[in-house]
Amino acid sequence: MLEIARVSVAYGQHRAVDDVALRVAKGEIVVVLGANGSGKSSLLKTIARVLPSAPGGSVRLAGREIADLPPHAVVEAGLALVPEGRGIFGELTVRENLMLGAFARRARAGEAANLARVLALFPRLGERLGQAARTMSGGEQQMVAIGRALMSAPDILLLDEPSLGLAPLICGELFRALTRIREGGIGILLVEQNAKRSLAIADRGYLMAQGRLVGEGDAARLRADPAVQRAYLGHFDAA
Amino acid sequence: MILLEATLAGLVLGGMYALVALGLNLQYGVARIMNLAYGEGVIVAAFAAWWLYTAGGINPIFGLALILPAAFAVNWLIYRLALTPLVRRAKLREQLEVDSILATFGLLFVVQGLMLVAFGGAYYSYGFLSVPVVIADVTIAANRLLALGFALVLGLALYLALTRTRIGTAVRAVAVDPVAAGLVAIDVRQVAAASFALGGALVAAGGVLVSMFLTFNANIGVVFTMKALIVVIMGGVGNLLGCLVAGLILGLTETFVATWVDPGLTLAATYAIFLAILLVRPQGLFGRAAR
Repeated sequence: MLEIARVSVAYGQHRAVDDVALRVAKGEIVVVLGANGSGKSSLLKTIARVLPSAPGGSVRLAGREIADLPPHAVVEAGLALVPEGRGIFGELTVRENLMLGAFARRARAGEAANLARVLALFPRLGERLGQAARTMSGGEQQMVAIGRALMSAPDILLLDEPSLGLAPLICGELFRALTRIREGGIGILLVEQNAKRSLAIADRGYLMAQGRLVGEGDAARLRADPAVQRAYLGHFDAA
Repeated sequence: MILLEATLAGLVLGGMYALVALGLNLQYGVARIMNLAYGEGVIVAAFAAWWLYTAGGINPIFGLALILPAAFAVNWLIYRLALTPLVRRAKLREQLEVDSILATFGLLFVVQGLMLVAFGGAYYSYGFLSVPVVIADVTIAANRLLALGFALVLGLALYLALTRTRIGTAVRAVAVDPVAAGLVAIDVRQVAAASFALGGALVAAGGVLVSMFLTFNANIGVVFTMKALIVVIMGGVGNLLGCLVAGLILGLTETFVATWVDPGLTLAATYAIFLAILLVRPQGLFGRAAR
């Protein structure tokens, strides 16, 4: 269970994330919807401690405070981020990327089983283990990024715009994979502009605008909400 | 005959350049420290080997077993005490590069000054295994062959460690993308400190091996810094194979020019080759163009 409260991120005078509180339980998909620049990315980055947050916030993972830990210790605690732009090691092979995913001590014992699970989830990666990650298509690179995060045996998985720049077909494949990951008991916090697709697989959702959470609810209710449809399911809906 | 002799001598020299540049590649490519005091490590290690040999009767190969761990420890301390504050305050890689250039420029003069106080400006050398060996009608000093052999062994060991082990792969991951490395539970600061220290140990190894067949004094460290920089940039930053190829190109060029043209023109030839390669491939021989 991930619980955050009073989390803010400031770039100079500008508050990109302003006093945000949310929670993600095991085995549920929670989506944060918002337009470009609404602070979604900064929110995920600061939860993963890649971006410093303003003092006073709390980020708790299974009851343990992780807001003061360095990034590598956050992974050890059970939280993995798939960053915007994927952040895979392009010069390294797929196999090396996945192997590094299991660099965390918590992941070593179950490494073989996790690798089998990742390759069952994304069979295409199994065919390309020796290939340099940068030579793969965008969708395949996203699979490497998600697979690498899963290799760390996380309790909570954070995903920053996984559908960005992907063709609809591969996008659907990825989102189906997310539901299979949820079945394994992992909690997923997903940040997306693609509201239609993400609300279709999510259990709950939050709406974010100008750094603040402006709404929340069950995914089904959000899908049906006329205000949400106008703001997030209208012209954003490309796929 | 002269061709073979010059080629062998060039390979020995090139092997030394490659080894020394491998260490700089770790310090610059992984830890992102542009270390201008780098070549001083060659000279400090050369003096240490000289001292162990002349005062203690310890031959330089056993000397390596003492000097390498000591160099690792000293460089780790330098990183922790002098460079970590710069790493902490740098928001961007570029800022760390500029800061580290200034800091290590100062370090260069401190180390050089201490060596001048201890040893003066005179040239030093010692005779270890300076017996001629004949290979295929070519004569070469045994100590040069030994130096080349050790350079190859150390280079190969580093290559295997970086490509075949998980921790080595983690080191390469930090070089590729330090932020993403943190996301897979790699402690980036620790890896950077260890890489800097390992780079320092490699440059010390180069110094010990070079001291077996070259004369040296307290002032020539900067020459090795320059050569190492040229090799790293020419080969492509962060690329081990590029380091090896560029080192050998440099060693062979210098030896050929010294043999057939004029020893005074070696440096000019070095820069001419450097310039020519950068004109054709600005990212280095094996480097990747920035995305």
